This record gives sequence, C-alpha cells and structure tokens, in this order.
Amino acid sequence: MINTVILSWVTFIYLAAFVLYLIRTIRGKEFWGSLASITLFIGLAAQTAALILRWIESYRMGIGHAPLSNFYESLIFFAWTVVLLYLVFEWRIKNKSLGAFVVPIAFLAMAFASLSPNMNSRIQPLIPALQSNWLTSHVVTCFMGYAAFTIACGFGIMYFIKGLDRHAGSHPASMLRFLPSRGILDELIYQSAALGFVFLTLGIITGSVWAHNAWGSYWSWDPKETWSLITWLVYAAMLHTRLVREWRGKRMALMAVIGFACVLFTYLGVNYLPGLHSYLKS
Amino acid sequence: MSSVKLTIALFIIIVIASILGTVIPQQEADVIAGRFSPGMISLFRELQLFNIYHSTWFIGLMLLLSINLVVCSANRLPASWKLYRKISAPDEAEIFADLPSDRVILVERPLKEEAMKLEGLLKKKYKGIRRKDTEEGTFINSEKGRFSHLGVYVVHLGVLVILAGMIIGFFFGFDAYVDVAEGESIDKVKLQGKTDFKKLDFDVRCDRFSIDYYEDGTPKVYRSDLTFLRDGKILQQGPIFVNRPATVEGIRFYQANFSSVPSGAVIGIRKGRDRALAVRVHIGTEFDLPGNEGRAKIIRIEENFMRIGPAVKLDIQSAKGNVQFWIFQNIEQIMEENPGLVESVPLFNPGIFEPYVFSLAMIQTKYYTGLQVTRDPGVPVVIAGSFLLVLGFMIVFFYAHQQVWIRIDMQGKNTRISIAGKTNKDTVGLNREIAHLVENI
Repeated sequence: MINTVILSWVTFIYLAAFVLYLIRTIRGKEFWGSLASITLFIGLAAQTAALILRWIESYRMGIGHAPLSNFYESLIFFAWTVVLLYLVFEWRIKNKSLGAFVVPIAFLAMAFASLSPNMNSRIQPLIPALQSNWLTSHVVTCFMGYAAFTIACGFGIMYFIKGLDRHAGSHPASMLRFLPSRGILDELIYQSAALGFVFLTLGIITGSVWAHNAWGSYWSWDPKETWSLITWLVYAAMLHTRLVREWRGKRMALMAVIGFACVLFTYLGVNYLPGLHSYLKS
Repeated sequence: MSSVKLTIALFIIIVIASILGTVIPQQEADVIAGRFSPGMISLFRELQLFNIYHSTWFIGLMLLLSINLVVCSANRLPASWKLYRKISAPDEAEIFADLPSDRVILVERPLKEEAMKLEGLLKKKYKGIRRKDTEEGTFINSEKGRFSHLGVYVVHLGVLVILAGMIIGFFFGFDAYVDVAEGESIDKVKLQGKTDFKKLDFDVRCDRFSIDYYEDGTPKVYRSDLTFLRDGKILQQGPIFVNRPATVEGIRFYQANFSSVPSGAVIGIRKGRDRALAVRVHIGTEFDLPGNEGRAKIIRIEENFMRIGPAVKLDIQSAKGNVQFWIFQNIEQIMEENPGLVESVPLFNPGIFEPYVFSLAMIQTKYYTGLQVTRDPGVPVVIAGSFLLVLGFMIVFFYAHQQVWIRIDMQGKNTRISIAGKTNKDTVGLNREIAHLVENI
C-alpha cells in the first residue's frame, strides 16, 4: 500500500530533520535551522498526505475508519501530533533549538512503527468495541496531550543542558548560547505542560463517555485508565507546586521529565499489563 | 488540612496506591498465591490489596483529598473574591512609579487628541474602561479577564462534583451481569463482586443473538434482539450492540459477552445397505432404531469434543446388551489422520452396533447473550462536573486578568504618555499588549 511506503520515507525525512537541527545547535548557523524546519515541514506534509490516503484506502476496502485503530496507526499518529505541535511552538517562540530534542522522539516512533518486525501495518477492520464515534475524539485529544507533554519534556531537558552553562564559566559552549534563557524555558515548560494537562483531561473525559457506552461504566480501573489518572495526578502536582508554592526552574524541569516517563508508561508500558485496552497489542 | 503540601502528599500516596493496583492482580488473589507465603497473602488480604480501588483506606484517601480541596479553596476564596470585585482607580499614582523608559513616550500632539486616540485603541481590546480628567492630566484605566481570578474554584468545584457523582453511583447504582438464552427471559441479574441477585421489576427476553464476521474472520457485529416486558406487555423492544446499549427505566443493558451451548443434532442412521435415515435429536432424546433391533438414547452433545470437532454420544439398549459410543462429524478426516483408531477404540467406532452405521450431519447450538446490566444515577452529576472542570481549565490557562493604566500629562510643551500594566499570570501577554500600544503611538 502506497501510504505505508510514504510513511517509511517520512521516517527518514524526520531523521534528516533531526540531524539538521543537531547541526544547527552545534554550529549555531541559522542556515541549518531553516533547512531543518523546511525538511520537517515537508515530512509533516507527506505524513498528512499518507494519513489521508490511508483513510481513503480503508473506505475503498469497505471498512472505512480513521487511521487510529491499532498500534501501528497510533505510533504514526503520535509522531504526527508531536511534529505538528512542535512546528506550532517553533513558529510561536521563534527559536529552533527545541527541534534537536523533540524531533528524534517523532523519528523513533516512526522507526518503531515502520521497522519493528512484529508490527502489523495493514488496515484492519474495526472490532465491535472500537466501532464508536468517540474513537476519533478520544484518540485525538489523548495524543495531543501526549505530544504537548513530549514538548514539555524537551524543554525540561533543554533547561538542564542550559544549566551546564554555569559550570562552563564565562565562555559558554556555543550550543548553549543558542538555547533560550532559563526564565523563558521555565515559562515554556509550564505552558506546554498546562496545554498537555488540558488535553489529557479532555482525553480522559471522552474516554469515560465512550466507556460508559461500551463497557457499562465510565470508570473501571482498567490499567490504562489508572495510569492516565496517575499521569494526570503527576501533572496536577506539577501545576500546583508552580502556581501555589511557586516552584520554578530545575524542579519544574524534573517534573516535566517524570511526567513524560508516566506518559510513556501509560502509552506503551501498560500494554504489558492485562486490561481492557488490549487492542493496542497487535 | 489547608496546606498544598498535604495535597501533594495525598497525590503521591494515591499515585503509589494506583500503581500497586495495576501491578497486583485485582480481585484474583489465586493468581499470585503461589508466589508468596500464605502469611503474606493473608496480610495482603487484610490490607485489601486485592481490591485497592474499593478498599476502605483508598476511599479514605479520596475523602481526605476532597476535604483538603474544600479547605484550601475556602481559605483562598475571600482573597480571590476581593481581587475579582476590586475596582482600580484610573489615577493610582504608585503604578506609574519606576516605569521603564520605553513605556514613557513624549509626543508633540495636544493632550486631548492623544487621550481620544488612546481610549479608542484600548476599546478595541479591553472591556472595562474608566477615564478620569484631572488637573494633572488624563488617566485611563482598562482591563479584561477579571473572572480569571475565579477559574481555579471552578476547577475545584468540578472535581468535587465528579467525586460526588461517583459517590451517588456507589450508593444508589448497581452493576450486574446475566446470561440469557435465546428465546428465554429473565428477571434477576447477578450483582458484580457479590453473591446475591437483584430482581428487576420487568422481564428481559432475548429473542435472538447473532454474530457477523468480516471477510477475514474477525468479528464485526455482536447483536442481541431484546424485548422488555412487564405483565406480558411490551415496554420496549429492539436490538443492542457493543457501543449501543439499551436504556429501560434508567437501567442500561450492554452487550458484554456471549456463549453457546449445543442444543441439538442431526444424526444419520444406516442399516446395512439400506438408505441412510436422518434423525433430529436433542440431549435425552430416545428413539427405536429402524427395524426395532434396539433403542437409542442421546446422552451427550459436544461442540468440540477433545478438540476434534462436533460429536454426539449414543447409548443403545438391545437384546445384545448395552453399548455406548461417540459419533463424530469429521469422521472421515479423523480416520485419515489416525488410521486404525476407529477399529481399535470401540468407543469411537460409529459402526460398533452392527449392522448399523451412525454418522453426525450437524449439531445445532443455542446462543446465550451475556448482558451487563447497570444503573448509575451519578452519571449526570459526573458529566456536569466534567463540564465545570473543562470550563475552569479554559479560564485558568487561557485567560488572565490584564489591567492597563495610561497617564497623559504635559511635560513642558510636550504631551507625555506613560503606560503601566498589571496581570495575575500572563506577563508575556501583557508586555505584548503594551508593546503594541507603544507602537501605535
């Protein structure tokens, strides 16, 4: 199928974009940054086209549904939301240094989807449990949340790297000069984590509405539900410590990284626990 | 009780408890019974570790969190309310002290003209605009997003309403399960996690259960046609599907499961060289063999006997005595794969009762539909709480109280414009607004 061929090419485009962002960070020349942004944008456009083609293809097969129904499709969509949200942030903050931290995650998700031997990349029909109008809104809101948390984690790591600046004395390494100041990074960590928190909340709510119609209960303590609550509580703690106890800087950066670890476990780790969300295993 | 430290501590404890709940198999103590000593297992039981989310201590934690939430909010609300109600004067002198130089602009146009223009500019983006003309100059004060001081209370109220909804569901709702055979009806359902039944005040009849498959063999549709009756009168009738439950008098019926049991079979009987005779049978059916040489009884019907397919067990009484044997639907395949089996194992020999040879044409199965039956009067409350939660987030994260003060006075022959601002969260946005104003002057 043409869409999977395009998607495996997109994997390499994202790798190229990552390398360009890295060169830009090390060499400090904006030329590389512009090239990286253009490459990434081309990758996103190609991926969007592939997703639309896949959607159309499923209708031609008579089993039409949005390409959000199995593990392969979820990884692809995760990469798509990360790149999309990253480009929005890059455009808003007019600084390209985050690319070297976030684009590799999109690349890894794409590589995992395209190269893993056990991955089923075929378009499969929807089993009865997934035949719901809530599928799209649930998956989209959750993954927008995951993407925003990915970006918050990227800013968090940048914050730690920027912190090396101090130890480097009065001549900071050139790559550190191009990172935004710690104050701005702190603000960006907060903004992206808050955005993720709102989307995660929407994801949990849409999931509950769906569960209420499919499983007979809006909350059944299925491991994925529980882990999404754990993630929600971690970010709730992060936002409270900032807004009420005025934690800033290093602590926020650390919380962003811990939160992202919870996100990864909610997304991937939970599949190794028994539960109702098992469609993601194939 | 009123500290955020306690809130964070409770978050951490709830997180750890929740993680434990995903690691320890819930409701199935036997699964890990082998891995720990009996003492440990009984300790686990004592601590309700096999049912963490419904344990007394977990519910206690949630209750503690709710109390903490109420106390924290109540402590902070008066201050926020004051900020929400406070009306700033246009000419607060101290606000203009120590302004950075890029926020004080000198122009040569007359004061009145500038005041008009600036008021117009502010009107585009701000709502509450107050103007005061004094001897010292003209003061304009404008603001927006006053309600953002209250956003956090909307969020907290949302959380409390959701928890209240869960409590309502816990006390006034139920969660039950029932299997209904096609053609039969029930009026009792088994409560989940308990041993007792709940009687419904109407009957539920399963008219039909069916499964559709996609071309590749994965299931496409599970469907039960249900009729709900009271005193023989139909209350409601229609199909339910996964994701499309039926609601009858506040009770929801979900397609949760299905099972099938063999209910009958068609067997073939051939005597010597005569033509085979087809007989439709059920478990327990007794009939005389053609020619009256014996009486057959069907004692078992299996859908998949010993994993070699459908089979029926016969018992034949005759003058020669009593004989029992199995007849298989896939007999040809079985004989091909296991040469000599039929001859050496009389129990599997369809021709053991000579001169008859039996065969199994097909078996019929009867479906049971597995219905989850729930009632949860807390759901509308939880939905209302969710709306509040999301509304509160919108206010907290996407709105800020922004106030801008402008002073226009004379400095020598020039008109001096000073711009000051104040915000409760969005400093970046405020600076952008002020920069925009400066640009327009």
